[in-house]
Amino acid sequence: MNTDSLNIAILEPSEIIFQGLSNLLLKSGKHFQIYRLDNLSGISSTAQFKPLDFVIINPGQIQNKNKEFIAVKKSLPDTNWIGLVYTFYDQQLLSLFDKTIHITDSLESINDLFHKLINSENQIGQNSEQENLSDRELEVLKLLVTGCSNKEIADKLFISIHTVVSHRKNISLKTGIKSQAGLTIYAISNKIIQIEDYQN
Amino acid sequence: MYQTNRKYITPDMKMSDLILDNPSILLLMEHFGLDLIVHEKTVIQLCDQNKINSKVFTAFANMYNGFSLSEVDTFTKNDIADIILYLRNSHNYYENEKYPEIRNYIQELYLKNSSAEIKLIDKFFDEYFEEVKEHLSYENRIAFPYFNELLHFSDSGKSGGGKHDFSVRDYSEHHTDIESKLNDLKELLLKHVPIQNDKTLRRKIIVSLFELEYDLTIHSAIEETILMPLIGNLEKNIN
Repeated sequence: MNTDSLNIAILEPSEIIFQGLSNLLLKSGKHFQIYRLDNLSGISSTAQFKPLDFVIINPGQIQNKNKEFIAVKKSLPDTNWIGLVYTFYDQQLLSLFDKTIHITDSLESINDLFHKLINSENQIGQNSEQENLSDRELEVLKLLVTGCSNKEIADKLFISIHTVVSHRKNISLKTGIKSQAGLTIYAISNKIIQIEDYQN
Repeated sequence: MYQTNRKYITPDMKMSDLILDNPSILLLMEHFGLDLIVHEKTVIQLCDQNKINSKVFTAFANMYNGFSLSEVDTFTKNDIADIILYLRNSHNYYENEKYPEIRNYIQELYLKNSSAEIKLIDKFFDEYFEEVKEHLSYENRIAFPYFNELLHFSDSGKSGGGKHDFSVRDYSEHHTDIESKLNDLKELLLKHVPIQNDKTLRRKIIVSLFELEYDLTIHSAIEETILMPLIGNLEKNIN
């Protein structure tokens, strides 16, 4: 999950509650992009162009549509599903959500809930100030900027491609730099490689 | 560049007050093809006079003032033409003004600090600029004409269904890439590439990158969260 900006979709028919919730979220200091949904099918069409990190739903909107909701959930395994509860609902209905927010919850507890959900998925992201790369990550970086593919790096270091990918992810999280060309400049500026290595 | 007191704009406000509050509104006006001399006129007066949709203008102005999309307004099919006008003019600003400005700075930087890193930054930027140009030209040549065609079909009640090379997913991926490389440049110039006699110039580049990012972020949000859903609806109704 990208913590720079989180995409949240809200399915809530009341304008007042929607605006109130949006405002609270925007004040939390995190960078949220908020989308408003009119119905359950809006989730898939929104997720088509933006990966949704959180979907907040008034459970009334999925009542008698359990099957449809479960199918949508299945199609978006990386999304967190949060119920926005302000009246009595059957426990079975509420159990379809990962977490629930109650209308009387304090701002702190709502923030806390998001914070926990973000952290559980992305521990390194929260720690991006700690920029020190591990020895293994340095090795991967060196090979990467000299033009090796993931497969070549995996072969040279006797690790799986999956591990290479996960090292690369961590390198980008720690340095804040994603592109290979950018990482090359990073490596030269920080004397991880010599310019001659790169040119050869 | 940044609006801090988040004044919510309504069409009856005086344009000059908005600009004094947030000078980025000047750029927004330019993107709509509006004159910069505003006299004592209000937003709606200036928009009407220039046949600009004042609802779209006001909503975008609020985004420049720091409001999020969900707070600004809802849009309909009738707004699409003005949204495209705004996007096309911004493309012109990126391609002919902002990117070349940054590129000139980087070349100047190399004259003062001829290190290997700056040379690589120069190369990085050139390749990046080419990518951006390619994407802008894709939008100008393929995406926008396709949107206009859809609009035309939906107005005339005919069915569309012609072949096209447009894909919402590609569209969004390009944006992510453009924003992420811009971020790489900021990170590198701010944190890593060593400074030699280039403090003032470095500051100018970084500020320029921020200005570009500010406009680009709003631009992408408009395309992805306002325009794309409208286009999706048109497609659904026609096919």
